[in-house]
Amino acid sequence: MKTSIQDIADISEFQEDNCKKFIDRIIKTNREVFMMSSLIEKQMCGYDLIKEIFSKCDVFLSQGTVYPVLYTLEGEGLLHAEYSKGDMRSKNYSLTLKGRKIAEKDIDDFSRALEQVSLLLKR
Amino acid sequence: MLKNTINGLDKILHDDIPKGSVILVTGGEGTLKSGLVFSMMANYISSNDEHGLYVTLEQNIGSHLRNMNSLGIREEGGLHIFDYRDMRLEWMDSELDLIKTTEEVIDSYKEKYDNLTLFALDSLNALYSISDHENMRTKIYNFFSHLRDEELTSFLIMESAQSRISGQFSSFHHVEHFLADGTIELGMIEGSGGVKRYIQILKMRATKHAMEKHQIIIGDNGLNILGPIY
Repeated sequence: MKTSIQDIADISEFQEDNCKKFIDRIIKTNREVFMMSSLIEKQMCGYDLIKEIFSKCDVFLSQGTVYPVLYTLEGEGLLHAEYSKGDMRSKNYSLTLKGRKIAEKDIDDFSRALEQVSLLLKR
Repeated sequence: MLKNTINGLDKILHDDIPKGSVILVTGGEGTLKSGLVFSMMANYISSNDEHGLYVTLEQNIGSHLRNMNSLGIREEGGLHIFDYRDMRLEWMDSELDLIKTTEEVIDSYKEKYDNLTLFALDSLNALYSISDHENMRTKIYNFFSHLRDEELTSFLIMESAQSRISGQFSSFHHVEHFLADGTIELGMIEGSGGVKRYIQILKMRATKHAMEKHQIIIGDNGLNILGPIY
């Protein structure tokens, strides 16, 4: 049976969707690492963080999954929070020294874990 | 056990509240709804290696804790407080589905703390007032189911206007009363001795309890439940 151009296009679209589904799941499950990674570059409020991850990864992290992580990391002393001067509407988060060290280590460990999983699957 | 978390609570709760129950705590303003729930949770957490989540839609964490401190109720490390202040300032209400968001907040804390066993929402009225009312009955049903699936003993605070004349409460939605496993009512009664606050258990499935209204007071070390009020 011959494979039509339409079949190839469908397969390619399916692969892309399937890949997107896995990326979506990986980022949502490990959102703490992605959030801290974004905060390494600049301080941000919850709203900006959600927008930033969406524009970078095309994955929407919902408010109910992001704000609890921000509060918990702040409580653990990994994030520092302050309201912008003259704007009490947005609370900006930045990594503390301890937070930055943990973020860098987590990003490194996470990247190595992904590489190892990839190798395991290709065996 | 929850029935030992407040001095005198065992006078009205003869058995403990079954784990995973969803309890409505209703009453007018100033009747100690938040204080009762927060106090039960904080005292339970202080003597058990478990975690609790108190979600407040009406106050921010700072003002909630100030109120609790003024009642002699202490903060506990394992009792996490989540407020919606930042979220509601940064997003428009139309961009937030607060029932779904609250479920996600619970899931996030549950992910972090395996032994999260207690949950409180302060208040259901606030949740209703900023939620889309379409299919509200289904949404409430699903929300209650979510709490049960997560095996959380949950306290849902609901402010109800109390008629000054009849003392009867009017409810905002009725569906939550049918769905809840228990209802604790708090109120005020004016008598010859002045105004007194009371607590009454209207319903508590699978639990023996008193039916009488008992006086509830603020003592030096938090809340105390005294004898029947009449």
